[in-house]
Amino acid sequence: MSKEMIAMILAGGQGSRLYALTDKLAKPAVPFGGKYRIIDFPLSNCVNSGIDTVGILTQYQPLVLNEYIGHGQPWDLDRLYGGVHILPPYQKASGSDWYKGTANAIYQNLSFIRRFDPEYVIILSGDQICKQDYSDFLDFHKKNDAEFSVAVMEVPWDEASRFGLMVTDSSDRITEFQEKPKEPKSNLASMGIYIFNWDILEKYLTDDEADPNSSNDFGNDIIPALLRDQRRMYAYRFSGYWKDVGTISSLWEANMEVLDPENSGIDLFDTEWKIYSRNSGLPGHVVGKEAVIEDSMITDGCVIGGTVRHSILFSGVTVEEGAVVENSVVMSGTVISSGSRVTHSIIAEDVKLGENVKVGAVPTGPAKEIATIGSGITVGKGAVIGPKAMIKEDVKEGEVHD
Amino acid sequence: MIKSNQQDALGIIFANSYDKEVSSLVNERLMASIPFASRYRLIDFNLSSMVNSNIHNITVIVRKNYRSLLRHIGAGRPWDLSRKQGGLNVVPPYAEKNVKVYYGRVEALASILLFLKQQREEYVFITDSNIAFNFDYRAMLAFHKANNADVTIAYRNEAIPYGFMNLQTTATSDLYYTLSMNDGRVTSIHTNPKDYGPQNLSMNIYLIRRELLIQQIEQSYADGKTFFERDILSPKLDQLRVYGYEFKGYAARITDMVSYYNENMKLLDPENLHALFSPSKVYTTVRDDNPTRYIGSPKVHSSMVADGCIIEGTVENCVLFRGVKIGKGTVIRNSVIMQDTVIAGNCTLDYLIADKNVEISSGTELKGSPSFPLFIPGFKQI
Repeated sequence: MSKEMIAMILAGGQGSRLYALTDKLAKPAVPFGGKYRIIDFPLSNCVNSGIDTVGILTQYQPLVLNEYIGHGQPWDLDRLYGGVHILPPYQKASGSDWYKGTANAIYQNLSFIRRFDPEYVIILSGDQICKQDYSDFLDFHKKNDAEFSVAVMEVPWDEASRFGLMVTDSSDRITEFQEKPKEPKSNLASMGIYIFNWDILEKYLTDDEADPNSSNDFGNDIIPALLRDQRRMYAYRFSGYWKDVGTISSLWEANMEVLDPENSGIDLFDTEWKIYSRNSGLPGHVVGKEAVIEDSMITDGCVIGGTVRHSILFSGVTVEEGAVVENSVVMSGTVISSGSRVTHSIIAEDVKLGENVKVGAVPTGPAKEIATIGSGITVGKGAVIGPKAMIKEDVKEGEVHD
Repeated sequence: MIKSNQQDALGIIFANSYDKEVSSLVNERLMASIPFASRYRLIDFNLSSMVNSNIHNITVIVRKNYRSLLRHIGAGRPWDLSRKQGGLNVVPPYAEKNVKVYYGRVEALASILLFLKQQREEYVFITDSNIAFNFDYRAMLAFHKANNADVTIAYRNEAIPYGFMNLQTTATSDLYYTLSMNDGRVTSIHTNPKDYGPQNLSMNIYLIRRELLIQQIEQSYADGKTFFERDILSPKLDQLRVYGYEFKGYAARITDMVSYYNENMKLLDPENLHALFSPSKVYTTVRDDNPTRYIGSPKVHSSMVADGCIIEGTVENCVLFRGVKIGKGTVIRNSVIMQDTVIAGNCTLDYLIADKNVEISSGTELKGSPSFPLFIPGFKQI
């Protein structure tokens, strides 16, 4: 029995620009939007699009991600035939290799894909926030009788030179690929989401592996090779919400956009396209007598005694009476003690803020500075964490970090 | 599987216990599937307690209105009960040739005798489903063994609830029991007593060796006996070593509509909430709701709110279940609002129990009282 299309999710990225947040976990495992992790988006998209076989390629700090995915039940991906599979680099008879590049990661798992004998393979990125119907993308691919398609977003012309760009003819057939060009000929940016005909993928990955000079990357090597051979390559225009949360400020911004679904386009309340996640299993959140909650999202298990304004609180967060949280993202299990003030910050999981701690500040300049505290950190009473600070180690009582 | 890690007991849960006392809540369901504490059903507490006590072979005996329960528990995966060995076993009436709509516990147990004979566990816990708790069955089993008991009954020292005091004693009425004890051993069992003040009120949790249970049920069923407590235990207190095990933990016992309301409200006190949800986790089915959204500056105080709600109005002293919407300008106080009920703007609501999927249109004013909260049945539009 063969599958029409299976998905391969590239989830090995470190996300090094998320600093303290990706110290102990890979970027796709970074918590997002109150009860999700970033990888919930591509996984839920797969299930909602009718894809029931997914390989997740992991490399950097895979433990949290492995445990989170488990046997895939929260995404309905615990299947008898297919389902979700974690694919780390492994040892072979001829030796073992880390994944050298995006293309090499898939190459090392060609035998996995072969088991399902698919007609098409969709390559996804595990670190993007996006709700996308891949079945619509596949329809486009089939309609154009394409051998390779890439999802693209129109970006403003003045920003185009930051992206990998697809130059197309009037039928959206790709004629040229420009990687971060000085003079862009197109404003169609690659989202790093590809559909390949399986035979084409297998051939080009095998050829690419045989080339010792290749960097084994889809953008640098595979797409140029396809172009050289004049393969039928098409650009699929996507216009919904899409965010590559590569930096602390973009992660913060994307979370803030979740609070404003009417304008931002990222609506987690959409029952037609649910995003699934592993559940905390805690009772409803409790709001105390003196609590103030405005324009915020609060998750099961939170205990709110203080003030929460324009913030996202993950499950099991405690905000004690007299504490204030504003314009911030606070992840699961964190405790914010009385008298503390958290502003424009991201606070990771299981952080303990002592009393009268000050974290972050309202930005005064154009740069969006977001104070960040890594997971499991204890911050002593009265400490001050400045708006630029990136805390990776415990902070003693009264200490000041700029 | 290591034998020493397993409590050598199986569980039997009666899902329809005391249905009659909360008739409006069980119109389309049964006691075990009544929504409770913002995102749970009553049976979640018992199933979780059993699983957390290493009981993994659980039989749920249902009598009627069990569709919502079946939907809720499915194959038992949320409680880790979807298993090859043991797991969840639901027994509806007419499941087999001899399984009929039972009347008393004896009949129901008699109908699953074959099943009981085929099991390997040494002990059986028999329970009802009208109490939410975090119960450690291991501690009760240890107590049972230490006393070399034949039967152990769990009880709480509490006043007989108002709902029970009001019960008529007719042939078909629900029964409750209090225990007289001497040094832990039960000397008499009182059926539907009307005494005031704290009593040793049975929780209807029984622990008995499986072989002894089978023997007692076979005998009593042949004799036409109906009630386990009144007809088996009570007359044999001199022959059987029956012990009372006092449960001192938190328990929310549902005996009528007012107690249902009050027990929900009591959880707004963080101490009670913590007591019910510790030491072990309580599992339930997952709905994949998003976090609850507060739009603008709603005034929410002293309330418990599950995921998936959208709140724009004023909420005070309320328990809101998953997916509830409270519109702008609405003021709702002292109410229990079940899942997916939508309350439009500019309503004034006080002392309400709204079942699930109720729609209340804008400007509605409704007021109950603490002793008589106004009940709105599920799927009703107002």
